[in-house]
Amino acid sequence: MNLKSIIECEAKGFEKLNKYQLPNHYKKIGIAILIISFISIFINGFSLNQPEVKIISKFGILIGLLIISISKELLEDELVIKLRMQSYTFAFIAAVGYSLMLPFINYLFDITFQSANATLKEIGDFTILWMLLIVQVLYFEVLKKAHK
Amino acid sequence: MKNKLKIERAILDITQDELAKKIGVSRQTINSIETNRYVPSTILALKISKVCNKAVNDIFILDDND
Repeated sequence: MNLKSIIECEAKGFEKLNKYQLPNHYKKIGIAILIISFISIFINGFSLNQPEVKIISKFGILIGLLIISISKELLEDELVIKLRMQSYTFAFIAAVGYSLMLPFINYLFDITFQSANATLKEIGDFTILWMLLIVQVLYFEVLKKAHK
Repeated sequence: MKNKLKIERAILDITQDELAKKIGVSRQTINSIETNRYVPSTILALKISKVCNKAVNDIFILDDND
């Protein structure tokens, strides 16, 4: 296999990967997983206080949002593909900005209200991924509404 | 880029929805093209020109900003 055919093979693989999306009915499954995870995280927060339930609920939120994010629209035409790409770009920039700014915002908050315990803390993976996915899903909906 | 899609559609006497179904896109896409919020791909422009029975250049016109 020469270099040109390896590059062509890789390009085809990437193309397939880029086109991979779930059918439209998966969106409802994603929403159901998201709602169940939110309910369980609230119930756990108020009564159970089990760390395992919290972790599983957080995974559920991310999986639900990911399924919503990669589910096709009823009619997936080129305008929808463009809007989807715009929403991914915006979400990526927003998530990076958010993860850079949040530790300083938290630090300023701590200095103002709890000056004794004020430390600069990193934010977790869940917060960044949650922000990335929720911004993408919401911004995509906003863009679709703007084009109605 | 400007376009005369609304005029061409009026000549054909078809709705946005009917045109959208003919070329396999959503009504929102046709509306966005007509209101100059979306520039279609070459494939979509060719499909529109085929339905309208006109050349692409007769429907889509470059303006000074392009």
